[in-house]
Amino acid sequence: MPQILKFNRRFAASFAAVVLFVCSPARASGASNFDVSNFRGPKMTDLYYVVMRDADAQTMAITSGKLDVLGDIFRAVDVERLEKSGLVDLSMAANFHGFFVTFNTRKFPFDHKVLRQAASQVMDRINWTRDLFSGYAEPASGFIPEISPYFDGDAKALSYDAEAARKRLRDAGWTWNADGRLTAPDGQETPHIKILCPPSSVAATSTEIAILAAEGLSKLGMSAEAQPMDFQTMLARVDERDFDACTNAWSMSRDPDLLYAFYHSSWKDIKGAYNLSGVADDELDAALLSLRNAPDEASAREAAILSQRLLSELVPVVPIYSRYSVAAIRKDWDGVYANDRVTSDNLYTLLSMTPKGAKAGETRPIYWNIPEEIRTLNPLVSGTAYDWTVLGSIYDSLISVNPENFEDMPWLAESWSIETGENGSILTFTLRDGLKWQDGFPLTADDVAFSLEFLKKNEVPRYFDSVSDVERVETDADARTVKVYMSNTSYWHLHNIGGMIILPKHILENVPDWRAWQPTNTRHKAADGSDMTELVGTGPFIFKESRVGEYVHMTRNPFYMLSGGEDKK
Amino acid sequence: MIFRRIGGAALVLLIVVALNFFLFRVMPGDPLSGMMDPKLSAEAKDKIRAMWGLDKPLGEQFFIYVGQMATFNFGMSMTTQRPVWDELRSRVPNTVALLLPALLLSAALGIYLGVKAAVARGSLTEKLVIWSGAVSFSVPSFFVQIVLLMCFAYTLPLFPLRGSSSIPPPVGATAVFDYLWHLSLPLISLVALSFGGWALYIRNMMVKTLGEDYILMAVARGLPKGRVVWNHAFRSILPPVLTMLLLSLPGVVSGAVLTETVFSLNGAGSLLLEAVNSHNYPVAQAAFYIMALLTVLCNLLADLLCALADPRVRLGGEQA
Repeated sequence: MPQILKFNRRFAASFAAVVLFVCSPARASGASNFDVSNFRGPKMTDLYYVVMRDADAQTMAITSGKLDVLGDIFRAVDVERLEKSGLVDLSMAANFHGFFVTFNTRKFPFDHKVLRQAASQVMDRINWTRDLFSGYAEPASGFIPEISPYFDGDAKALSYDAEAARKRLRDAGWTWNADGRLTAPDGQETPHIKILCPPSSVAATSTEIAILAAEGLSKLGMSAEAQPMDFQTMLARVDERDFDACTNAWSMSRDPDLLYAFYHSSWKDIKGAYNLSGVADDELDAALLSLRNAPDEASAREAAILSQRLLSELVPVVPIYSRYSVAAIRKDWDGVYANDRVTSDNLYTLLSMTPKGAKAGETRPIYWNIPEEIRTLNPLVSGTAYDWTVLGSIYDSLISVNPENFEDMPWLAESWSIETGENGSILTFTLRDGLKWQDGFPLTADDVAFSLEFLKKNEVPRYFDSVSDVERVETDADARTVKVYMSNTSYWHLHNIGGMIILPKHILENVPDWRAWQPTNTRHKAADGSDMTELVGTGPFIFKESRVGEYVHMTRNPFYMLSGGEDKK
Repeated sequence: MIFRRIGGAALVLLIVVALNFFLFRVMPGDPLSGMMDPKLSAEAKDKIRAMWGLDKPLGEQFFIYVGQMATFNFGMSMTTQRPVWDELRSRVPNTVALLLPALLLSAALGIYLGVKAAVARGSLTEKLVIWSGAVSFSVPSFFVQIVLLMCFAYTLPLFPLRGSSSIPPPVGATAVFDYLWHLSLPLISLVALSFGGWALYIRNMMVKTLGEDYILMAVARGLPKGRVVWNHAFRSILPPVLTMLLLSLPGVVSGAVLTETVFSLNGAGSLLLEAVNSHNYPVAQAAFYIMALLTVLCNLLADLLCALADPRVRLGGEQA
């Protein structure tokens, strides 16, 4: 740890100074002036997603002009190097990452709520985060990301106060034996606690936090140690519920319904499910069920707040920190969009970026880094974030997320509504007028209906949770309105269905085996008779070609809904 | 006797095939354990498990696997849903194109320098070979490669920073030169990192051999120095050199993970590492099976070549 502290402190000041200038001074509130019509594009005709794995090589490449956009920068040393070069603009944003210390509440001693509360008070998340991350992470105190519209600022984990923690235990009847070991009110001595964590070679800060957490527990009179182990072994142990405590990180989302997956008692003993702590509380269960089945936004918000407050009392996990995203873009580009929630490597930058000083219509390729090779561009089986970086510029969903306040925003659907019918929620989406697929064929409500029915019929695992409750889908004669009838009531159906990619019926209905479908290798005729691959969406860029492990080449979509019309045929 | 060797090799291969299946299943976790995505329920994970046939009894999975190994039909990669053969085809040529020349060049350079150092004992040449060999043998590869990248691809941009082709790639004959240009710096780095081991090994063996009586006899007979060194001394150490060279060949296919990462090369090393880490059974099993096959074949070949190179070596006790 001393080495890490020294390393990060050295860069702390410069990091904060360098990065924050792009971001707004204060975190955005619920209000937003974001207007997607300001982003007409894409303005550049060619986009290359370039595979570069090594972080040093990436920084060399962007400073030497071989890359234009670099995201996922996670080393302070790279930020300093990039800042010193004077050639890039850096942006930093909070994100949905959350790191927790999880207690196994199924067994002694963490089956005692008061002990978990006290343990939370000896986890000095503010100082740990400052020392370990020096400005590129923030201490976390909530159970959902603080940038979520549903985050409840009053439902925070207890602040660090070791004395108060001991007093809390003393007041609850806990004692200390002659050796200073903490003893439960029933006389049971607390056992030696092992906090599972990945090895420092894999995740140095996770190991450090496990060590610090063990030191924190020792302030309560507990014997504890960090137990670094192979990551897969650790996951297997946690999956078997064979642990006292562990560190774990989640990539969450804006929606709080994931709290149901994390903390509802029905998931506590199911292998592969995510209630790792095993927390089981009737009141919490009821709140989480209300959250999952909330019929509308207001009741969803109410249930989300209640769930968070109950969690802050039950403390099945201790939130520690949330990592910031950092991205760099070369200064020779105009039209960069970033705020305190979105770094510059986003869709809106992609749409509006133009070379500085370029004449109207002048274009040059964009070189955008992806740190891992693309595994597959079959949208039905793709799983990695990097696959979806590429697929995200090809496929669209019905609704999108406002990048300033993370609330719903029209996308393929210009409007929508959610109501409760006899059997469950009914979602109605009205598509924008004049939508076209990248191959020139029109996108209609039939495509939406087909997408949902295809995914449900085939039980495509990646989309199974979103469509499993779809009862039926109806389209209106105007070919722009689609009604989705769900078999139960939940406000989150709107985000699950509305946020899902829409696939072209005219292509997918001819795919013999969706598992083995290689859309980049199979071709079809576009509306104008030209030859195109089957990787066809509605997004701003069209797949052109890829070389495995090297790059993916995309070209501008002339039919894109935000292209401004000048290219449309 | 050659049939006995072949029989032994087949037995080794069978054991490897069985271990190849069971070791991956004994390892903690499974292909699903790394999927910690709160948006992917336990039920959805079960669907994925079924899609990959992991819900079948282990015995049934084993028989399917044995059939695949026997027919060289390795199935589909769990992460890309592409045939494993396609995965290997897209990676192995790059790896072989880099590692085979690297092996041959580093062996040739190491052998030459090792022999030179042994012949010139106590000289500056020997000291230089020992020092450079020790440095080459002991420095961390990623450090050397990053320094080379910084010096010759960034500060002095003589070589490309990444990959095995320019973006966009050139067409025609230029593409061949472009490919070779991209492989140059990784190749130089690998030769620089590998020749030392060869040089030190050869020098040690040659020093010992040059002190033998039959070498003294050859010198006393007035044979030219070059003939004594290469035809007499070096020939006598040829069998272990050949064995070492041939047993290095399977490594040419398995790749060099760090080199591939630093130079962003699309090779078999990172495929193998990722397959093991993510429990991508079809890819990992196929890759290890092929490597085992190559190792067994190279071992057989080494036995045969040793017999050819050294008349004292005979297969299966012919001397008796």
